[in-house]
Amino acid sequence: MRVRIEQRSEPLTSWWASAALIGVALILGMALAGLLFIPFGASPIEGYSILISNAFLSLRGFGFTLVAATPLMFVAFGTIVAWRCGFMFLGFEGCLLIGAMGAAMVALAAVDGAVLAHFPPLILIALALIWGAVLGAIWSGIVGELKVRLDGNEILIALMMNFLAIYLIQYLVVGPWRVDGDLPQTIRFRRDMWLPYILPGTRLHAGILIALAVGAVLIVLLNRTRAGFEMLAAGLNETAAKYGGINAAVRRRQAACLAGALAGLGGAVVVLGVHHRLLDGLSDGTGFLGIVAALLGRMSILGSAIASILYGGLSIGGDAMQRQTGLPSSIVVVVQATIVLFLLAFEFLRTHRVVVAAPKASSTSTKDV
Amino acid sequence: MQSQPLMKMLGVTKRFGRSVLANDDINLDLYAGEVHALLGENGAGKSTLMNILYGLYAPTEGQIFMEGHEVQFSSPSDAIAAGLGMIHQEFMLIGPFTVAENLVMGTTDLPDGVDGVATAREKIRTLSAEFGLDVDPDAFIEELSVGERQRVEILKLLFRDAKVLILDEPTAVLTPLEIERFFEVLKQLRDNGRAIVIVTHKMQEVMDISDRVSVMRAGRMIETLFTKTTTPEALIRSMVGRDVDSHLERSATKERQRGLEAISLVVPRRDGEKLPPPVSFAVFHGEILGIAGVDGNGQTELFETIMGLRSAVDGAITLDKRQLTKSTCHERRELGISYIPPDRRGTGSLTSLSIENNILLGSGAEFSPKGMIDRSKLRQAADGLIERFGVRTPNAEFIAGSLSGGNLQKVILGREVARDPKVLLIEQPTRGLDVGAIELIWAEIMAQRNSGVPILMASTELEEVLALSDRIAVMFEGEIMGIVHRDEATKDLLGAMMVGNTLESLRQAEAAA
Repeated sequence: MRVRIEQRSEPLTSWWASAALIGVALILGMALAGLLFIPFGASPIEGYSILISNAFLSLRGFGFTLVAATPLMFVAFGTIVAWRCGFMFLGFEGCLLIGAMGAAMVALAAVDGAVLAHFPPLILIALALIWGAVLGAIWSGIVGELKVRLDGNEILIALMMNFLAIYLIQYLVVGPWRVDGDLPQTIRFRRDMWLPYILPGTRLHAGILIALAVGAVLIVLLNRTRAGFEMLAAGLNETAAKYGGINAAVRRRQAACLAGALAGLGGAVVVLGVHHRLLDGLSDGTGFLGIVAALLGRMSILGSAIASILYGGLSIGGDAMQRQTGLPSSIVVVVQATIVLFLLAFEFLRTHRVVVAAPKASSTSTKDV
Repeated sequence: MQSQPLMKMLGVTKRFGRSVLANDDINLDLYAGEVHALLGENGAGKSTLMNILYGLYAPTEGQIFMEGHEVQFSSPSDAIAAGLGMIHQEFMLIGPFTVAENLVMGTTDLPDGVDGVATAREKIRTLSAEFGLDVDPDAFIEELSVGERQRVEILKLLFRDAKVLILDEPTAVLTPLEIERFFEVLKQLRDNGRAIVIVTHKMQEVMDISDRVSVMRAGRMIETLFTKTTTPEALIRSMVGRDVDSHLERSATKERQRGLEAISLVVPRRDGEKLPPPVSFAVFHGEILGIAGVDGNGQTELFETIMGLRSAVDGAITLDKRQLTKSTCHERRELGISYIPPDRRGTGSLTSLSIENNILLGSGAEFSPKGMIDRSKLRQAADGLIERFGVRTPNAEFIAGSLSGGNLQKVILGREVARDPKVLLIEQPTRGLDVGAIELIWAEIMAQRNSGVPILMASTELEEVLALSDRIAVMFEGEIMGIVHRDEATKDLLGAMMVGNTLESLRQAEAAA
């Protein structure tokens, strides 16, 4: 018996093949991580049934799953826009926080007696969302400009700017914007500036609708418009794009700003829909998990939206599992990570197949026949 | 010719995987003292066969005999030990070392009588004199011309006492003068009892130099003939499998009207090189101005400057008297300049996208009137192009990078001519393509010319420039050496210009003689 790996003549792209690969990867990942439950006296099957039922099968739980998935979607969409255009941006954490800050600026200016106090709430919410997106766009636009104009290292610059954003928020919530009390956070926003809850009995807010609408617009933009095609061309092969008369630098700048705007909008949605105030530790890695969701979704808008929901469900269900079985929280993270690794590893099977054959029967040696 | 062949392949078959049959039951023999041409289109299996002979691939079936004994090569070093040598298209020489050092380097077993660079030098001198190679053992490789480097490669094989020399497309990088010189060397080698295989798809070469010719098609050996007994037409027929119509319909140009013009244009060169002198020329409507020259003599820089991919240092470019020196590439495309670049995979296409999306590349508003792409119109255009040019593909959604070179070139050409260009720039229209594809592309270029489009075309293939052009300019180190009418152009004249003689100086020399 000999096992060898062979390239497929055509990659598997059909719908059922994708579903089968994802299904097998999920089961294998859960099984492997489930082994870790046993030393704690917890049953993997019971644990996972808690996880799944809390994340996806109860209305309240599924609401939380979608709430967790919303910012992931925004970041994943931003990743798709930036990376497709050849701009390897990793600064979504920063953009998200800056967007959250922008929304908070508007909300804090709308408290009683402040400049925006007499505006109608709908205008204020729109303004907060837009301002969050604009600040996010500027934040990533700086990186884009440095990349395009000076050929700066966008990965390094973006990672450093993430720190800048994290500590800027920290400064604001412990300093000028701090509310009286123990916690480093701003005051709670006006009730009418919260994003409305859309499903009774859950905490699901209107942010998910914004995310889905943005996703629909992006599908059209990326696949059906000249601008989307030119961004793609600039990302795939700059020489060929320029040959085709495409101004690759402009397209890359636009992609950078759009990606930052999406993450900024995500940040604004999170503060207006979930926390209702600006606080330290608001993002906590969402800006990176969204990139994972984009990769899991094979860089497609629809795929990454589904991956975001899946990932959100893993977080919400994992927390429930930890509470009910007494497993340490680190195990929940291991479960998530193992599943993601299996999903990514199974991507290999789209382009390759594993062949198990006895060496004598292999088609390359015919002398023995 | 002796009775026993120096090398004999018997029933050699090579499969890749289950479905690809690269060589099907091939018989080939080589005798000492012959030049044997191996002729075939791309994908006919020539390279696979030679790689089997050189020990790079193991044959699936079949036997190889050297001087009557069966041999099995598991690597090139086995082949070299048995007296085989191969020269690839890219030379494997190290620039900063001398000829002698290069020859000693990497040889685990030095040939008899050589124990170091000093004795190697001696042997190089002897061999060089014996075969008329004229190579100085102490010359540094980086100071040698391409033709000289090729002779060093040949010397490398002789140094290791190769009896069978395999040369893969040996003339691709040479100027006509160098080719002549190279053929002299081959004759010398043949007369000294070596067997030489040249792998080629150029008919002229086969007729000029080979004693016998073997034609391969689609993995099979079609025939082996004495070159004297055949004709180029018969060889093309057996190589392609059908008759090829190489006749080009050249209609008379009606009125001479200037289309594209370069006026004292100074073209930027690569970093660090000094600027070439300004060039001036005009391409008239209904004319092909061909640019001959060895690769890398500023042709691409000139074309990219005209296309707006580089900015001119000085001078002007006009199209139908209209200034476009300052226009962007996009604006020039809108004005009707089409360009078929030499690097069809790196520049001319987006290889990971579909044929359909590649037709969108460089298009104007016709497929996206208000910024939205009209997919159905685009699909129609793609299907139309595929049908008109006979692109071999399952459908328009097929990934362009998976097309063969000829089919991809048809897509690029089709896209660029579909936009009714006001001027057509073409570089290396048929580099590396099959006879069938060349036939079609030449005919289309000629049809564009006959319909009145001014065409500027550069090719390193002299045959191509001579076949298509109305006038021929020769470029050398960024400079135009002269422009001659097609009736005055001869290979000798162009060849002399290609190595740096101006037309003027050649005419003067002729007048003086």
